[in-house]
Amino acid sequence: MLYFTTSFLVFLIAGVFGLLVRLEQSVPGMQVVDFKTYNYLLTGHGVGMLFWWAIAAHIGGFGNFLLPLMIGAKDVAFPRLNALSWWAFFAANVLFLMTLIPGNHIMTMWTGYPPFSLNNDAGVTALYVFVMHLLGASSIATAVNFLVTYITMRAPGYTFFKTNLFVHTLIAANVIQLVGVPSLAGAVTMLFLDKYLGTNFFNPAKGGDPLIYQNIFWFYSHPVVYVQVLPVFGFYSEIIPVFARRPLFGYTSMVFAVWAITAVSFFLWIHHMFVSGVPNWTRVLFSYTTLLIAVPTGIKIFNWMLTLYRGAIHFRSQMLYALGGVFMFLIGGLTGLPLGMVAIDLGVSDSLFVVGHFHYVLGMAITLGILGAVIHWFPLATGKYYPENLGKLSFWLIFAGANIFYFLQMVAGMLGNPRRYPDYPPIPEWTTLHVIQTIGALILGVGVVIFTYGIIKGLKSGEKASDNPWKSPSLEWKVGVPARAHGHGDHPPRVEPDWHPYRYDKEEILK
Amino acid sequence: MEQVIALPYKWWAEAVTVWLIVAVVIYLIVAIPGIYFIYKYRYKPGEREIGDHDFEGHMGLEALLTIIPLLTVIFLATYSFTIFKKQRTVPDGAMTIKVTAFMWGWQFDYLDENGKVIKTVVTGYHANDYNLQEFEKPVIPAGKPIRALLTSMDVIHSFFVLPARITEDMVPGRTTYLWFQINKPGEYWVFCREYCGTGHSHMFTKLKVVPPEQFTAWLYGKNEVAIKSNNKEVAR
Repeated sequence: MLYFTTSFLVFLIAGVFGLLVRLEQSVPGMQVVDFKTYNYLLTGHGVGMLFWWAIAAHIGGFGNFLLPLMIGAKDVAFPRLNALSWWAFFAANVLFLMTLIPGNHIMTMWTGYPPFSLNNDAGVTALYVFVMHLLGASSIATAVNFLVTYITMRAPGYTFFKTNLFVHTLIAANVIQLVGVPSLAGAVTMLFLDKYLGTNFFNPAKGGDPLIYQNIFWFYSHPVVYVQVLPVFGFYSEIIPVFARRPLFGYTSMVFAVWAITAVSFFLWIHHMFVSGVPNWTRVLFSYTTLLIAVPTGIKIFNWMLTLYRGAIHFRSQMLYALGGVFMFLIGGLTGLPLGMVAIDLGVSDSLFVVGHFHYVLGMAITLGILGAVIHWFPLATGKYYPENLGKLSFWLIFAGANIFYFLQMVAGMLGNPRRYPDYPPIPEWTTLHVIQTIGALILGVGVVIFTYGIIKGLKSGEKASDNPWKSPSLEWKVGVPARAHGHGDHPPRVEPDWHPYRYDKEEILK
Repeated sequence: MEQVIALPYKWWAEAVTVWLIVAVVIYLIVAIPGIYFIYKYRYKPGEREIGDHDFEGHMGLEALLTIIPLLTVIFLATYSFTIFKKQRTVPDGAMTIKVTAFMWGWQFDYLDENGKVIKTVVTGYHANDYNLQEFEKPVIPAGKPIRALLTSMDVIHSFFVLPARITEDMVPGRTTYLWFQINKPGEYWVFCREYCGTGHSHMFTKLKVVPPEQFTAWLYGKNEVAIKSNNKEVAR
């Protein structure tokens, strides 16, 4: 709860940053903020959204809440380590808010590429490095905790192939964290040493090489997109079968797809460096490995669609969020192909096309998934329902606004508009596209505000929820509504041999 | 040179078309049945209240849905490889220009066959507008391949030739390259596409493409003085 609230607040702050960034770009010239403030806002938007929202909201927030409940345990394995993890996260939060103070602005962009980040024009790199370290420490503590919890505390009979997909994806994401975070920590530590203590890892004049940073940085920071998106795949897989009232199609291949994504995610970081000057053969090799990731992700999309086949679909708002998320992810995936095809990437690298693409995936597929999950598990956490009409209204606004915004952003990128540009020459097509994008962004913003209002309203005056309101066989609903503080307590639930988290009672009808 | 305005834009555009066709086909294959299922199998009281529980998986179908995407991506990657080869192989007889980036402008050195600098053009930083003086515009001949050797004095920048849709980063301590060719005389945008600080969005220049005879006259002409004096002002 603490985790999620912190994440959600930063999500809102970073959202405001994003909106300011968008308003600045609406028309050529500088209207809203100056160049330096723009660069700060864009950095803050990126760091906030990626590290607080897209990683922490579902892993920290939902993971801590749902993991023990879903596997039939009392709590996570190391509750005090968990508290430490939250405090590290909270401290990072304080540092993040400190960057709001003028003079503390970080203007490196979230990637922090040297030698630019070593330049005085980049702002306080140290603050960025410390934020990354605190978040990294927090992530590793969480990852260890979750892995141990999953391995040692499952209810008897709750086997690998009876594990909820959210648990599979959560554990897979934390395996990536455990392998990858040290790499990021290393990269930013070297950055810190270079800037403040006179080492020369990245200084070509003294035998260093700035591309070393990019390699170490992306070795973690590409896999991290799967850290961000995998648990959301878990949400889709939990929500869609419940409201299609039938078992998930192809459960086993879904599990293999999750672990295939985890493995392949470490073999495609060079696609972020297709134009960085690395040798031609590397670019071609990584073009193949990058496109390979489309196969397991494709399996997941097909299976979600086939789950709808011969179902009895209820359009509750969380189902809308989940299906909307899958459609956003479909577009996000298909527009990822040209970025993996090195020939096309040479023409669109670092353009708004890239930004539009990753907002379909990292922006919307993830956000819709998390918001859907908030509605879905709202009764379990609070004992009340999320207001259904506000859920539907916010969904349609967010979905429509996001599509207008990000689709046209990709078109602008195809026309050559570079990213991270507060200003651009008055090319008529670009200007038109930017104006419509801003309208889309405003609609999206209104949707998020309505969703937030829905949370407050649900907490204050939501309708009281019944036990297992969605009639799901999954274990987390066995503890009653709202969930007790110690989950399943000292008596894990009985897991029968024919039990499966997606096998609904054939007679049971969701009203 | 036929109708093609720029290379490697032509091949890039072909690759984009191929991708777009593949993507739209996949989208339709997934979205049409998806939307149809959502419509057909929605909950209807008294008629369709519970989903079908027998169809939990289908080995053949799942295998097919793995193999077809696998073949598709292998095709796309291999196709992209063939285009990439053309994009990165500098044609014989290309003219070489050395481009050096700085915060936030470019220096263009025109080299002869022996690598000696014939002429230098420097584009300065224009913080408030997108207009350039004539002497700040690098000039290139129409219809002739240009090889650009790229490097940077300070941070990482990127050299993006808009009409040719080709980018390559400019990394301090390294020399990278790209090549392009523009066939139609005119003025074309060049932007920086790697974030480089406050002036990033105003790091630009305009390539002036002229007929070859005019280019030779310009290259060996005598407007050297204006450029030199400008050089001192903006390069620092």
